[in-house]
Amino acid sequence: MSELSLIKNDYARYLKGFEMFLKASDISVGTTPHEIVYSEDKMKLLHYVPTALKTHPIPVLIVYALVNRYYILDLQPDKSVIKKLLDEGFDIYIIDWGYPSGVDRYVTIDDYVNGYLDNAVNKVRELSGKEKITLFGVCQGGTFSVMYAALHPEKLKNLVTLVSPVNFDTEKGLLHTWAKSLDVDRIVDYYGIVPGDFLNSGFLLTDPFRLMIDKYVGMFERIDCAPGDTECIIRNEEIVKNFLRMEKWIFDSPDQAGETFRQFMKDFYQKNLLIKNKLVLNGKKIDLKKITMPLLNVMAEFDHLVPNDASIPLNDAVSSTDKETLIFPTGHIGIFVGSKSQKEVCPKIAEWLKPRSELEVTGEPEIPESKPKRGKRK
Amino acid sequence: MDTSDLESTHKFFDMWMKNYEANVCRISEIPAIGPTREKSEKMMKGFPVFLNLYSTWMDTMADFQGISIQAMKRMNEKALKMKSGEVQDTPKELYNIWIESYSETFKEFLRSGHFASDMGKFMSSFLDAQKYNREMLEEHYLKPSNLPTKTDIDELNKELYSLRKQVRELAGRMNEFSMEK
Repeated sequence: MSELSLIKNDYARYLKGFEMFLKASDISVGTTPHEIVYSEDKMKLLHYVPTALKTHPIPVLIVYALVNRYYILDLQPDKSVIKKLLDEGFDIYIIDWGYPSGVDRYVTIDDYVNGYLDNAVNKVRELSGKEKITLFGVCQGGTFSVMYAALHPEKLKNLVTLVSPVNFDTEKGLLHTWAKSLDVDRIVDYYGIVPGDFLNSGFLLTDPFRLMIDKYVGMFERIDCAPGDTECIIRNEEIVKNFLRMEKWIFDSPDQAGETFRQFMKDFYQKNLLIKNKLVLNGKKIDLKKITMPLLNVMAEFDHLVPNDASIPLNDAVSSTDKETLIFPTGHIGIFVGSKSQKEVCPKIAEWLKPRSELEVTGEPEIPESKPKRGKRK
Repeated sequence: MDTSDLESTHKFFDMWMKNYEANVCRISEIPAIGPTREKSEKMMKGFPVFLNLYSTWMDTMADFQGISIQAMKRMNEKALKMKSGEVQDTPKELYNIWIESYSETFKEFLRSGHFASDMGKFMSSFLDAQKYNREMLEEHYLKPSNLPTKTDIDELNKELYSLRKQVRELAGRMNEFSMEK
């Protein structure tokens, strides 16, 4: 085939791609049925409608990061961590932090952890009638959950952390390297509310050519169908919709409350106080040794945002005797929406959580000895 | 291409910068006098701010130009394999070589402490310049027009934040009190 006809083919393919994009304008995310059971300022607490006939008694409260939106865990029905956990019989709640605006400029990490998060935990305890619940923290939400678990261990039955950083002194993630050179005070003092786009530029810069060019070229190449191949066309419509859902999530970045951003960058990324047990929230020192409940620490082997070195030290820092680490061969986003998420990650988390989500009638629940299957255990 | 490097450009810029600072910049340091003294002093503060921005911008640009040249060299080396027939000679293959070379080279550079340090300096000078612009805008347009400034709004936000916090604490205490009763 001559070079000219190759270029003509590519051109036709891109035109076809644009046509498909036009058709796929209607994309919805976070569609698993739920109701808002509590709200405070910008924060909302969502309760999902159970799908199993019988649910495990201990409810699960999922805490997502302030950066990006919680619906990555419920992006579409066939790629929904939430739906999978509901099907496994869990009673699921999730915090939607909302979009901070000017009035939230002075909101601190203490307000998030001891204010909004504590109120959400209390609401879940009240609604479920259970003294203790499972806290399931994701990414930065996991860091918040760890702090909460150290401050309020009496309210938690289990702690699950998914791709959550606790040790920030690592050179493996680009964000960790860059954060040390940022003049955080200048950023917060100028912006007040730190723009989500500012943070997004940082994420894109971790691999600029792949994330800003190659990803889109690859997308147009994937949707190439022979004329009349209706099966392929239908499949492609779904591919385009999935792609657009991811695009929506990636660029749907809430702005950050300035004082929270300042403390997170300085005390966590620059001084690494949390893992050293030197972090202070509202006058109270956070001692990770006060975490005694069962702990599951889940991470992604190829995570470029939260490298394993940032998550692994948690298990040694806590006093829990029942603790486990699972590492899956996927990336930071793949762990929620990749092919392994539904087939391996969620089932393994559910397998760990199920025996620990029963009511304690006589002493501790019976925990079966865990045998390594797919996720690497440490 | 092998002989191209930005060292001479850098040297020239440094020389120009030193001269500029030693001569033109000194003008901005002359104390202002007369009724517009205060405003003039504030405006003159912009000189070093913008000079610093320009300097860090040049450093950043030099970094990126240098790394682009390095990526281009790497791409050329790989593209030669196309010519020799080792790699298929198609536009798609050329694209693959381009994206691979640029992506690898830039990622190596972005991982370096040099990039982090230069980007940090550039960010700081950029924010200083933005802050200066905002202050001038407030000083010359918003305040004379009796319009609220960012500083005014921030004061209100802070007040609102502490009031919200107080209300929450009081409500909590009232709750505890009513439960005790």
